[in-house]
Amino acid sequence: MIKRIVLITFVAVLALVGLLPLLVMLAQSVIIDGHISFAAYQDLLNSRSEWNLLGNSLILSILTALLTTVVGMPLGILLAKTDLPFRRAFAVLFTVPLLMPPYILAVSWFDVLGREGFLARFWGSSTAAVTSDFLFGLPGCVLVLFSTFLPIVMLLTMTFLKTINPRLEEAGKNFAGWFGVLKGITIPLIRPGIILSSLLVFLLTQGEFGVPLYLRYNVFSVVTFSEFSVSYDYRAATAGALPLVGITLLVLLVERIYLREKTYQVRLASSGYKTIMIRLGSIRNWCVGLVSVLGFLVVVLPFLVLFMQSLSFEAYAQALKLAGSSLLRSLTYAAIGASALSVLGFFLGYLIHNRSLSIWRSVDSLTILLFALPSTIIGIGMILLWNRPTTNFIYATPVIIILGYIAQYSALTSRVTVSTLIQIPPSMEEAAQVVGAGWLRRMGMIVTPLAKRGLLAGWLVGYVFCLRDTGISMLVYPPGHDTFGVRIFTLMANGPADLIAALCVIMIAATILPLGFLALAFQLAPGVNRGTNARRK
Amino acid sequence: MKKSLGCKLFGLAVGAIVAMAGCDKSARDGEIVVVYVSEDQVFSEPILKDFEKETGIKVKAVYDTEETKSTGVMNRLIAEKNNPQADVFWANEPIRAEVLKQKGISAVYFSPNAKGIPDVHKDPQGYWTGFSARARVFVVNKKVQNKPTSILAYTSPQWKGKGVIANPRFGTTTVEMAALFTIWGNEKAQAFIASMKQNEVGISTSNGESTDFVASGEFDFSLVDSDDAVSRIRQGKAIEMVFPDQGQNEIGCLIVPNAVLLINGAKHSDNAKKLIDYLLSKATEKKLAFADCAQIPLHTGVETPMEMKSIEDIKVMKIDYGAVARKMEEIQPYLKQWVGY
Repeated sequence: MIKRIVLITFVAVLALVGLLPLLVMLAQSVIIDGHISFAAYQDLLNSRSEWNLLGNSLILSILTALLTTVVGMPLGILLAKTDLPFRRAFAVLFTVPLLMPPYILAVSWFDVLGREGFLARFWGSSTAAVTSDFLFGLPGCVLVLFSTFLPIVMLLTMTFLKTINPRLEEAGKNFAGWFGVLKGITIPLIRPGIILSSLLVFLLTQGEFGVPLYLRYNVFSVVTFSEFSVSYDYRAATAGALPLVGITLLVLLVERIYLREKTYQVRLASSGYKTIMIRLGSIRNWCVGLVSVLGFLVVVLPFLVLFMQSLSFEAYAQALKLAGSSLLRSLTYAAIGASALSVLGFFLGYLIHNRSLSIWRSVDSLTILLFALPSTIIGIGMILLWNRPTTNFIYATPVIIILGYIAQYSALTSRVTVSTLIQIPPSMEEAAQVVGAGWLRRMGMIVTPLAKRGLLAGWLVGYVFCLRDTGISMLVYPPGHDTFGVRIFTLMANGPADLIAALCVIMIAATILPLGFLALAFQLAPGVNRGTNARRK
Repeated sequence: MKKSLGCKLFGLAVGAIVAMAGCDKSARDGEIVVVYVSEDQVFSEPILKDFEKETGIKVKAVYDTEETKSTGVMNRLIAEKNNPQADVFWANEPIRAEVLKQKGISAVYFSPNAKGIPDVHKDPQGYWTGFSARARVFVVNKKVQNKPTSILAYTSPQWKGKGVIANPRFGTTTVEMAALFTIWGNEKAQAFIASMKQNEVGISTSNGESTDFVASGEFDFSLVDSDDAVSRIRQGKAIEMVFPDQGQNEIGCLIVPNAVLLINGAKHSDNAKKLIDYLLSKATEKKLAFADCAQIPLHTGVETPMEMKSIEDIKVMKIDYGAVARKMEEIQPYLKQWVGY
């Protein structure tokens, strides 16, 4: 009974924070002067240009998802499963672009490939003209979004590799070399993770409009954006989001068909087996070279140019003066948002994993839908819902930003929880139940300690996404409470290039330093890293 | 019992959210004014800080971004209509002020400091008042020999593929297009825009971006706002500024003033009026003239920097902002079709 009450409470929180603003927007889109009208949706169906843009969106999303998967999966395997030197440093390096709003990365790439960019200084203007033409259009969009989302595939591949039961690989090794084992056993076993990461990249690319707008490649997400910014037409904008909803539901269907209905042999958290590492032998140096070149081209080059632009004491002093308080606010909001997301995601993930309520599938779909929807839809919906005199204590305070984070990013922490709970044998909770432990006690004493690693991972993912968020916070932040990401964007309008570059470097440092500190604490804390094994002894 | 990590996170999240919900109480009770700003933050924030220092009234601001093209504050003002959070809106052009007037979001206020501002830059009914204007100017890469002098350069074969313009569906470029429609009439204006496309004009997302493209040599010239031009020139970018259409039979240069307005139902209306008076003062116009945006004062007799002409020295395009606002709405479908989204 308590279990149901607790889980229903968290579902209600998700419905209140995430679903209700959407319903408000939906109602606004079909009610005109008190009458129901589907005119906005009819206009969308009749418009040919919108469907052409949808085609462009699909092309961009498919190419980005394919490229990130083709490169990210082998990269993840190299970094998680081989004796490649500096693999942790490489993992951190490739993760850096994910910490930044993609638009800033597009600007960095312009500083590299533009007609008077970094490369023009070495290779001359004729080559720079070619690189510039490459950047502006579909190839440039794919390049920027590939470098932004590559870490998603890489990190999920690395995570899922740790779930493989090594006995299977050992068995395979008796009859084949590593290439054969990878092809026949390892990669098929982590296929759910790879498909999940590809779908995530696909959805994130669908919703992205800053990069395509900057690089002059017209895609569908700009329709919603344009309707808001040009005509302030909520009806048309909400109708414009409908195809995105359709695509998201299609993606969820694909996921259900290919991932959920299959069972995979995973290593349980209590198994005590270690991942078997591949010795690269004679190709080790080649692999280091290849990964280094990729890291240099995809991450170091744009960020080096950004860093070089920021090399002035005055720029950093000015950046901290103008945005120091926003930085502190951002760190605080991100920490609180990540904590709230971790708690909500944990219980929703538990509900989805154990199918504890009959609506588990709807809850899962709702979180993914909220993640994929344009932030403008959620943001305006939140304003219409919460901006009332009676709820001013929410709307006129930073609580509204936290609610925005919860609305948009709960899928991240619930999915991390699901993948964590898969590794915990149900027998443990069942054993405690047999000896009379209640559900809350089992959650507190058994499930949460065993899922500690997943909870922390979820917190970190939530922290990163809250910190880099600009879409939701831009629309709902209360006056005087702007976040660091928002302030970078507001200062970008005619702000000096060195100041903007310094702000971006501070943004990267503000994300990486706390993450590094937490990762260190994560490694040192007794019972966290080695928790389950220690308990078993 | 030892508390689990989940309990700690839950405690932290709930405690912090409750604390945040109450954290603004002291500020709410104090002397404050809430202003939404679509003028660039780098230029507007120092003015608002000065107002804070001089009056002791705390300014709480929401700024707009170049990337969202004012989606942020305009949408917020419209969505917040029934429970306004803002007291003042500082718009970077008067067309948005006109839209807010039509939607019943602004209130009437005749500031005593607006007396020296020409009537053409004010709403006759007092719903908004213009101040410190930008000019719509050409930025031209320094390497270019013969510089364009008229906006008709966009349709000239000499400049095929060499001009760029910010997306005409957004910001001051829309104002420019709508202004051309009101001056030339629909037929001539549509022919001009169609020729631009045939002449392979590039479309950027903003005037700032257009200026950067010209500075980096991606394009030879662009029609942008004077603050975009001056700020880049002061940053040492390789561009020059040209006031277009200054010849005897030419249409003149479009002038786009800032506009300030009082929000209907403002919670701090007295402080709001003080802020509006402050923004409309000669002192503020002088500060904005000498800032990197180099905006043109609308009061007569205000000093201006060397590189910026005074309003008297510019041949100004003669327009009616109200008519331009109405035309802007009318031509949106055409512009949407022209841009493709």
